[in-house]
Parts: sequence; C-alpha cells; structure tokens
Amino acid sequence: MALTGDLSTFNFVDILQVIAKDRKSGILVVDWKDIMIVYYVKDGEIVFARPVDRIFRVYAERNFEQMLSKLRISKDVLHKTIERFLLSRFDNKQGIFSLTPGFIEYPQEVPVHYPIEELIFIASRSLTPEEVDRRISDDMLLFDKSSNLEEKIEKAKLTKEEMQVLDLINGARTVGEIRLASGLDRLTVDRTLYALLAIGVIHRKKKERQQKPPITLELLTKVIEKIKGL
Amino acid sequence: MGIIKKIKIVVAGPFAAGKTQFINTVSEIKTVRTERKTQSAGEKAVKDYTTVAMDFGKIKIDDEHELYLFGTPGQLRFDFMWEILGEGALGIIILVDSTNPSTFHDARRIINFFQSRFPVPIVIGANKQDLPNAWSPTDVATALDIQEDEGIPVLPVSAVDKESVKRTLIALLEIVKMYLRS
Repeated sequence: MALTGDLSTFNFVDILQVIAKDRKSGILVVDWKDIMIVYYVKDGEIVFARPVDRIFRVYAERNFEQMLSKLRISKDVLHKTIERFLLSRFDNKQGIFSLTPGFIEYPQEVPVHYPIEELIFIASRSLTPEEVDRRISDDMLLFDKSSNLEEKIEKAKLTKEEMQVLDLINGARTVGEIRLASGLDRLTVDRTLYALLAIGVIHRKKKERQQKPPITLELLTKVIEKIKGL
Repeated sequence: MGIIKKIKIVVAGPFAAGKTQFINTVSEIKTVRTERKTQSAGEKAVKDYTTVAMDFGKIKIDDEHELYLFGTPGQLRFDFMWEILGEGALGIIILVDSTNPSTFHDARRIINFFQSRFPVPIVIGANKQDLPNAWSPTDVATALDIQEDEGIPVLPVSAVDKESVKRTLIALLEIVKMYLRS
C-alpha cells in the first residue's frame, strides 16, 4: 500500500528514513507545487529521478532498464538526476508525496552514488527550527550510540560540526547539555541529532526505572482477567 | 465500605487520535469529559469539540480496586496536564491516528515527553486501522522513529472496537507484569 503525506508536515528526512529503514523498493512520487517528480527506490536507495507530466507513464514503464534505454540515459549519469531533481529541492517544503512499494522491475545492480545516509544528512541541513523541534522536542532527552555505526557514519559524510555533536553523545548527556557543550548553534546541533536518529546510529535512552510498579502481581493478574472478561 | 484503591493508566496522543473514543469503548461508566468547542480553523475542520483537561473512564476490578483511564488533551498547549496526569500512572498508552501522518511528529513529541519523565511502560496504539488509508503499525513505528531497543510495541488498534481496545490494555499490563517479575 502506498504511504502518502504532505511535505509540510512529514519532511524529506522522515521520508528517506522510512525508505532506508526497511530497505524498500518501489517509487516515490512527489507532486511539488511546480513539477511532479518520480524518484526510483531500490533496496532502500534512491537511484534515479525524473520529472513526469502524467503519472501513468511511470506505471506503463515498469522495467527499469528498458525505461532508461527509452530515455537514453546511461547508468553512469543516474546521479546527475538525483542532484538536479532531489538535492536542489530540499529547501522546498510544499508538496504531496506518495511512496509505493514494489512493481518496478530493477536489475540486480544499479549504481548508488548518493547513499541514503548521505541524502538524509544533506536533507537535514535544510530542516527548519520548527521541523527539528518536532523530534528533538525536549531538553531532557537522552541519546546513546548504537552498535555498528561506523559504516553508516562513513556513508553519511558528516561535517566537522556534525562529527563534534556525535562525539558528545554518550548516553549520559541530555540534549540540553549537548547543545551547551558543543558551543554550536542550537539548530546545527538539533539538525545533526535529527539526522543521526534518522540513519539509526543513535537511539533514545529511556529514563531508568527506579522502583517496581506500584501493584502486586496478584492484583495485576486480576486486572488483566477483568479486562479480558469485559 | 473501605477506601477504593485506584490503579491509573494514561491514554495520551495528538489531537483527534481517538483517545476519548478509546476510553469510552471500555469504560463501565459514561466517560467523564472536559470538552470545549475547538478554536482554531484547523481543529474545527477535524471535530467540533476537544478535550481540554482530561477524559475519565473507570473499570471496577473488585470491591477494593478500580482501574482509572485518564485521557489527556492532545494539543501541545495543554502539556501541563500531561505532567499532572502522568504522575503515579502504571503505564501509558499513546494513540496515533494512522491515517494522518501530519500528526506523527506531535505523537513523537508526546512519546519524548513521557519517556523522559516517567519510567513506566509505554505502548503505542496505531489507531483507525479500520480505515482504508491507515498506515500499517510497522510503517507508523518507522515514522515515529520507534527503535527496537526502546521496548515500545506499536499495536494495531481500532478504538471503536472493544476487543481491539482490550488487546491494547492487556499488552500494556503484560509489560507491567514483566517489570514486576524482573
């Protein structure tokens, strides 16, 4: 089933995260205010982009290689379409998107010039303060690094400032403390945290449990039985 | 008759996620509501009335105990109520309108709020699964950025369906049980 939404409330970092998370394949259609663009998604990577005047063209051309051949586009220049039709549009916040899994027949190998982690970071640099506040919403939030993050970090091509923020994450510093310790402006720190979360190299740390829940096992069992019987 | 001991579960979530309906579906009393007419044009387009303090439903467990279900107001301007209602809760259910991705960020903000203040089990209900354009619980989890090690299950819910609401409550209580045994 297609996932649909509005870019003004579900930004490009969020969309790319959904694509990356389950290594989805299919197409992402964005009906921008001025143009409709189809982004081809293979195994969680955006491999090609093209504007279309009619959406049915996409559904009529399901074989990826045949479509490229018809458009006379070589695989070596696929990344140019990403630059022209995706990277240049991250500042544009108005459009309706629809992510439809499946149905495109992709060949085994399609070159990936911009890994999804790098796209997420590039997109994050255009997030507005209001957008970052939706996820980095609380000074008291705690983050910790996830395991096996090196490969993703390398693909993401972090700037020096972004790397500095990553280095400050230790599972003990709150968001407020990271902002202070970094000496960077708040938006840069929050955008970085947003993107690090999106590529899955950091995770939120739960507030530690201090005591057992205020209920006995016997009473809890009774509550569960009562609800079952409702 | 002795004093009735209260067991409290909080039902939170963004505006129009279905919290009042969720409580109403299982409460043994007519849900106590504190509603006012919606003010902003955006809210008016969704519904005419909205919760401003809390909703309150009740399930009698035995002669000494009652389970209270407290529904929080969804709008961020009422977040002072979240703190009040979260205190002493056994667990928290956060409902999300699976058909409205524009509310997912508000949902994440609410999760952040409770997660960083109350060390109690949290369950996410991906509500309105009975509607055709609902995002699946898996996609909702991804959009909400729920990571596996957060220990927050995202369950399919239809707040109008009693069995579905019961399943969600039981899932939360089973996590509480795990906490008790650990």
